[in-house]
Amino acid sequence: MKRILILFAALLLSYSAFAQSGKSIYQKYSDADQLSAVYISPAMFRLIGRIPDLETGDNKVNLTPVIRSLTGMYILNSENASINEQLRSDAERFIKNGRYELLMEVKDHGETVRMYTVGSEKVIEGFVMLAAEPDQVTFICLDGEMPRDQFEGMVAEQMAR
Amino acid sequence: MKTLEEIEQLSAEELEQKATESPAAVPEGLRSRLRMTLAAQEFLAGEEAEKARPVRWFPYATLATAVAAATLLVALPGRGPKDTFDDPLLAYAEVEKAFQTISDKMSVGVDLVREAGATAEIPQNTLHKIQIK
Repeated sequence: MKRILILFAALLLSYSAFAQSGKSIYQKYSDADQLSAVYISPAMFRLIGRIPDLETGDNKVNLTPVIRSLTGMYILNSENASINEQLRSDAERFIKNGRYELLMEVKDHGETVRMYTVGSEKVIEGFVMLAAEPDQVTFICLDGEMPRDQFEGMVAEQMAR
Repeated sequence: MKTLEEIEQLSAEELEQKATESPAAVPEGLRSRLRMTLAAQEFLAGEEAEKARPVRWFPYATLATAVAAATLLVALPGRGPKDTFDDPLLAYAEVEKAFQTISDKMSVGVDLVREAGATAEIPQNTLHKIQIK
């Protein structure tokens, strides 16, 4: 019986680690005070995909060519000091467990921005941006299959400007 | 020859004494029959234990069912968060805003890399000038 209990506890622990995702983080924090939350479902992305010509500014990295391949988006922007640290910690755990690779880290004027991707050599299956300021944390999680060369090409294009 | 009643009235010691006085011949094959009987008893006892064993698997089966149920609960469609926007145009605007945010943050990094590159070029150019002279 003792062995079964230990096994059950181990299963629960591994299951909770497995269950950590952009969705679970969104569900945990989306109702908190001083926090704005946005979720766009795969069905809504299919609808958006029918709208032509999504654009960003002229001098910015243009990610719009990959937008139609997205299947979900979770955005949390917290200015609630009591949950910022926990949100950041949960997001970092999700990034670690999800085997995300660091794409870019920027530290500028007290703000730390990290961008991560997960997927294969050819396809990015997920993108996460975690921006932390002393009084604000922003978590953006994108799900979908974006061609890696297309994505990296856009970044390189911006760097060449 | 004693009658059955007389035999029944004898004590155990007396019976044992009578038995040793006139030992009866052991029937042929008794030893092997006894062994077979004992082996059969052992076999039957083992079978009963085997029948009882499935009960030991009950907790494992319960555990497996619980894990399967938890997986189903999480994976079931329709249990996800609700869409923030009903209107695709509003969702479009929010996606655009999110990409703008990503683009802005990425551009800061790109600018820092560019600045670092320009700074690194200064000593390189100076060294190049010295080498030419």
